[in-house]
Amino acid sequence: MTNRFDPITLELIKNALDALVDEMALALVRTAYSSNLKNSMDLSAAVCDANGQLIAQGLTLPLHLGSVPEFTRAVIAKFGGEMREGDIYITNDPYEGGSHLPDMYLCKPIFLDEESPAGFVVCIAHHTDIGGKTPGGNGCDATELYQEGLCIPLLKLYDAGVVNQTIFDFIARNVRIPRQVLGDLRAELACLHVGEQGVRGLFGKYGVQQLSVYFTELLNYAERLARAEIAAMPDGVYAFTDYLDDDGIDPDAIPIVVTITVRGDHLTADFTGSSAQVRGGINCPLSFTQSTTYACVRCLMGADVPNNGGYFRPITVIAPEGTIVNPLPPGPVAARGLTGFRIANAVFGALAQAVPDRVPACEIGGDTGVSIGGYERIVQDGKTQLRGFVFLEFLYGSWGGRPTQDGIDGVASAVVNFSNNPVEVLEAELPLRIERYGYLADTGGAGMHRGGLSLVRDFRLLAEEATLQIRADRTKYMPYGLHGGKAGAPSRNILNPDREARELPPKPTLTIQRGDLFRHIAAGAGGWGNPFARDAEAVLADVLEEKVTPAHARDAYGVVIDAQTWGIDTAATQRLREGKGIPTK
Amino acid sequence: MNSTQETHRLGIDIGGTFTDIVLIGSDGTVTTQKVPSTPDNYARGIVSGLEPLLPRQIAEVMHGTTVATNTILERKGALTGLITTEGFRDVLEIGRLRYPRLYDLTWEKPPPLVPRRLRREVPERIGANGEVVRPLDVEAARKVIRWLLAQEIQSLAICLINAYANPAHERQLSELVRELAPKLPVSLSCDVLPEIKEYERTSTTVINATLQPIVSQYLRTLSEKLVDTLDSPRLPLYIMQSNGGVMSAAAAADRPIHIIESGPAAGVIASLTLADRTGIPNVLTLDMGGTTAKASLIEDGRVMRSPEYQVGGGVTAGTRLSRGGGYPLRVPAIDIAEVGAGGGSIVRVDKGGALRVGPQSAGAAPGPACYALGGEEPTLTDANLVLGYLNPNYLAGGTLPLNADKAHQVLHDKIAAPINLNLPDAAHGIHRIAVANMARAARAVSLERGRDPREFVLFAFGGDGPLHATELAQSLGMKRILIPPSPGLFSAFGLLFADIAHHSLQTYKRSLTETNVDDLTEVLHRMEVAAQAELAGEGRRYVNPVLQRAVDLRYVGQSSELTLSLDNVDMSDAALSRRLGERFAAEHERTYGHSAPDDPIEVVNLRLTVLIPTSKSEISNSQDSVPIAQAPLQNRRCYFGAEAGWLDVPILSRNALGGKPQKGPLIVEEYDTTILVPPHYTAARDEWGNVVIETR
Repeated sequence: MTNRFDPITLELIKNALDALVDEMALALVRTAYSSNLKNSMDLSAAVCDANGQLIAQGLTLPLHLGSVPEFTRAVIAKFGGEMREGDIYITNDPYEGGSHLPDMYLCKPIFLDEESPAGFVVCIAHHTDIGGKTPGGNGCDATELYQEGLCIPLLKLYDAGVVNQTIFDFIARNVRIPRQVLGDLRAELACLHVGEQGVRGLFGKYGVQQLSVYFTELLNYAERLARAEIAAMPDGVYAFTDYLDDDGIDPDAIPIVVTITVRGDHLTADFTGSSAQVRGGINCPLSFTQSTTYACVRCLMGADVPNNGGYFRPITVIAPEGTIVNPLPPGPVAARGLTGFRIANAVFGALAQAVPDRVPACEIGGDTGVSIGGYERIVQDGKTQLRGFVFLEFLYGSWGGRPTQDGIDGVASAVVNFSNNPVEVLEAELPLRIERYGYLADTGGAGMHRGGLSLVRDFRLLAEEATLQIRADRTKYMPYGLHGGKAGAPSRNILNPDREARELPPKPTLTIQRGDLFRHIAAGAGGWGNPFARDAEAVLADVLEEKVTPAHARDAYGVVIDAQTWGIDTAATQRLREGKGIPTK
Repeated sequence: MNSTQETHRLGIDIGGTFTDIVLIGSDGTVTTQKVPSTPDNYARGIVSGLEPLLPRQIAEVMHGTTVATNTILERKGALTGLITTEGFRDVLEIGRLRYPRLYDLTWEKPPPLVPRRLRREVPERIGANGEVVRPLDVEAARKVIRWLLAQEIQSLAICLINAYANPAHERQLSELVRELAPKLPVSLSCDVLPEIKEYERTSTTVINATLQPIVSQYLRTLSEKLVDTLDSPRLPLYIMQSNGGVMSAAAAADRPIHIIESGPAAGVIASLTLADRTGIPNVLTLDMGGTTAKASLIEDGRVMRSPEYQVGGGVTAGTRLSRGGGYPLRVPAIDIAEVGAGGGSIVRVDKGGALRVGPQSAGAAPGPACYALGGEEPTLTDANLVLGYLNPNYLAGGTLPLNADKAHQVLHDKIAAPINLNLPDAAHGIHRIAVANMARAARAVSLERGRDPREFVLFAFGGDGPLHATELAQSLGMKRILIPPSPGLFSAFGLLFADIAHHSLQTYKRSLTETNVDDLTEVLHRMEVAAQAELAGEGRRYVNPVLQRAVDLRYVGQSSELTLSLDNVDMSDAALSRRLGERFAAEHERTYGHSAPDDPIEVVNLRLTVLIPTSKSEISNSQDSVPIAQAPLQNRRCYFGAEAGWLDVPILSRNALGGKPQKGPLIVEEYDTTILVPPHYTAARDEWGNVVIETR
């Protein structure tokens, strides 16, 4: 084995960078105002080299990872020759380095003695409102980008240290909750501030020359690890198709087709055959399609591969223009996150054929975005005012059954590591009451290793009136099982389940009134392996935990629970399980 | 009682490997004892360690223990039930969703401390402003309680939604439980943690409930055994809290959540005392043993506290972003970051050809390869041996023989050869990487908090701290290091220095501009009266109390607060709120690089700490009761990296080191540690017996 670097210094620099990007993310979390940032952590922080290549990303959001290089590339293309110390660039343009309008990308070049920057620090944060027709900025019902909100082209937010107040003022006038959005924007500045100090410290310690060499080596190191991992997968062509229920406008199912080719130490993911660009706002810009693919492949890498651009190199993504995975402007993209999830599901489905012992059955397949926005009438200094409120959260769920373990009930997605929002904080800050948050029995896909359960959440509106917008899916095309495991239960949207119980479509936008109750049931995750081969004791444990009912234990798993003793009726179980292809125990 | 009439204070620190006993007389004489811990019954180890020291008259016992942490780690808590609001039984298990190991599809969520079956709901609801939205259904509640009692639960936690705003329903439930099961221990969230955020409050309440029967039993047994052994009918027993104060055994039995970080806290308190004595206001502490390294910060003579941490999640990587690894516990504790870097840390080469140290540890058994107790994996200790830093023949003054050949062989075969490095360079790299891992803990408590480590003095202790201190200091740009006497027993000394501490927190949510100074003063006064009553209830004299008042502020909308001290603040100042606002903005600017002058600031909490100083006797300076290595000390060849190479290094005892700075390289070898002073450093002994190391 040859080493082109000193492994010790490499490790030291890697640790320093890992700590730094975490410090950056933490500065953002601590200073942010919105729940989506301070509680859910819908954000990313990164350090890039002089060429804009991603060197390190914090333990934050994998699906942002691959979009960072696209952003810095756009920055260098636009400002390359004229960057100055104290500049900070901003954009949210999905077609010029951004991803969707609520995500504000900020970047600061780090200057040392040279004319050109020695590196960049980057921050991405999902803001709670960006104007546009739907509060929360995640509506599916826009048909062009212009309806989705304020689009900020790639601009200088700070020019050589001087603030461009015009941009702040424009933002403030175009969003429903300016104090919160500007507070969050300042939190992004705090993140860059912490990052810049750290990067300067590193350059000071190691010198520009040496550190730049090691940045390159860090990328090479990640590439080497990634190539070794891909080379260990069997060569072959693996295809998978998964579906989105609809785009919120047209009722048709939307196929995501991926063909993965593993050849030696290289992997290609070709999305040819996926749906054409759709009318509703779930089109997924290319950088996000790439990010998602990288993150999935990364999950199958066993070693501690650094989170940098080096590991992207042996992965090629082919996404034809004008499709849902690479739309043309001005295609609407607000709810593109959902398609990202489905891309991940499809990529994992294909990879499950290549490495069946490492890929879980489908997780719930897309977090559900819930936005509730409106105005509260308040009287201040004798004057009546309408004060805007916007509630935004992304609900996640559970993991699918795994080759050697059950799925996890209640966990963030493998590709989007969000937290949920504390119920009590929401109730203290917004005119809402959360009346239920918990598991639903029998919803996890049956399998030798059970899929995780559905989570249900009830929202009651306490304000006079509000717009409710939901981004859900998996009502018709459920999270798949693998190797004989069953699909998870479908997701559901129900208005007023305590009264007339109106079933809503997956992606509605509607007006609700005081006292209305909205219930979302997330999908259950898929099961792994033949459910009749599940250890009967594990089925009993699930029944005792009230995660599986005795009836479901009998029907889905062939395990009979004695209602008197709460033990397994061995004889009856054996009769049910006979001939179902399971080894008798 | 035929011994001297002098009274002694006894400190007992139980660690994973050793139990340290420190006895201090009123004249300052110190006697110490280090014996193996006996996890099956800790009292046995204590008694065996105490016997050689008897008879003595003991005034009080201060105790640091890992019993609470271990109960959680080993999942040996009491069978606990949980009663929650209808619709919310899964709050405890769902948690906050985030998981700490990104991209790891084999991750397992820690199982909830109360299984779903024992989490039951009652019909009731309190609103966000404390209003009753739905009254408690008493009949349904009785049914739930009876059902849980039939499951033979040993403890009960009650946590209802918005109970922080109105505890009425929790109290009502508690009464119903008392009627049906008067002896069942009950933990109410409104008592344990009256704070917003249902998951964190539930988790904290449940941890308290599940520990309560175990910890009270442990303390009862220990107390009896001590009374027996020391032949003293009434023996006050105090337990070190995570926040650095001590509490009575009775209080600890009731609120075991406060003693989770009991052991590590003692080391920080020992540092605080030393910092005070040596007049060093700003200190970074490094406590390194066989398995982990812990770092903490002392600023302006005060320890830093953090409002929340996770227990049972294994060793944290020193990052505050890793959520979901353990069980969140929201009680103030000394801000201690911990990483898996100790003498026993295992070294390996990963698939990409990079060298890795830890977090896996060979522990005490089988231990490093050089212990020759069956350990086949190379460890940090093996690398330190190869480098010449450790005595090649034995550790601990001769009680533990080492096999240097074994260390050379495993390091060569498993590390140096595969990465094409010569043995000394590989070993030196391991030493530096281990230090880089420790630096993550040090950064977590300093840089992540906006503090520059270069402005701090490093206090290094624990068996392995003094060996890695200079390298750590260098990597963080720190110029000065202090190694206290008996570094391996330092934490046990900390027990004897701790004051009785009572911490209280009162939610006081309002905008800063609307804050009325009189009301603020009044609330703080009420907190003091309540604290005094509680301390009196524990049988403490309320003598010479030291009051520390503080206020938590944030911009409206933020989730984290900055704490400002109210000490040395003129509380009669009419412009108090404006002054606080200015201080807050300055602190925000310092920490995050910006402030928002036009944004409203809100007060969130008031904090009061009441300290009652314990009767500390000064330790006489010339204490030398710890035996020095018996073998004659001689020079040794040590390796300091490719540039400096192999150097001839004199080996000294601490006593041989004078007050005049002596140039490195040199090594101070002691019974319980080895102090490394590389070239470019000087070392001297100060008037208190500390070894002071500085860059030249």
